[in-house]
Amino acid sequence: MPALDARLDRLQAAHTLAVGISVDSTFSHSAWASALGGIRLPLLSDFHPKGAVAKSFGVYLEAAGITDRATVIIDAGGTVRYAVGVTPAGERDIEALVAQCEAIDAAWEGTLSPAEAPPGLPDGAKLYIRDDCMFSNWALYARDNLHLRDSLPVVNVSTDDAARAELETVGGKSQAPALRVGDTVMYESKDIGEYLAKHCATR
Amino acid sequence: MIEVGTTAPGFRLQGHLGRTVDLDAERGKRHVMLLFYPLDFTPT
Repeated sequence: MPALDARLDRLQAAHTLAVGISVDSTFSHSAWASALGGIRLPLLSDFHPKGAVAKSFGVYLEAAGITDRATVIIDAGGTVRYAVGVTPAGERDIEALVAQCEAIDAAWEGTLSPAEAPPGLPDGAKLYIRDDCMFSNWALYARDNLHLRDSLPVVNVSTDDAARAELETVGGKSQAPALRVGDTVMYESKDIGEYLAKHCATR
Repeated sequence: MIEVGTTAPGFRLQGHLGRTVDLDAERGKRHVMLLFYPLDFTPT
């Protein structure tokens, strides 16, 4: 996935949406993507019914309850142009796959949608988190996966008294996680995630 | 394994950034590359 994330510009230029798919939940996807350094391409959950989408493409390994390591390229007309499995322990050649997408796009007749750049975060946004908090972790994963480590500062109200006092002053309470944007504070991790995705996720 | 040249079956799945991806909605707009993989937290 990191190899693909690094080539996101090329995929967008080739009018291609690349997604990862496994049977894991979105919570697992977020945590793993963050552990990999932040993954911007969507990781989809083929969760319920388990493996149903993988089955429809003929890549579900029923006995093990997992999907094969397989790549399917579908053109903008909905036709399968490439479908290869390398077995769970096998490796993919990401460079070759991206080149395939570029070749399909180059030969495509007709106009496709240009990539839409997200609006980005306003100046002065800040994320407040606290220790031992699942919701704070989710907010941190979202920050990583949207590649906001350099642009969205984080402060920990469990260890930083000044930060806690600041949050209480601006938002009315020191509950974390909280996302401050100017004079507005969002306190629910769901709202925080939605706001960050809306402003920062590549479309 | 699905065969090259056939029409891909539609699907709608939740992604980790909060967005749903619907294959049919990409028709006429973008190509789509699906990277199926076994499990999170295992070597890629």
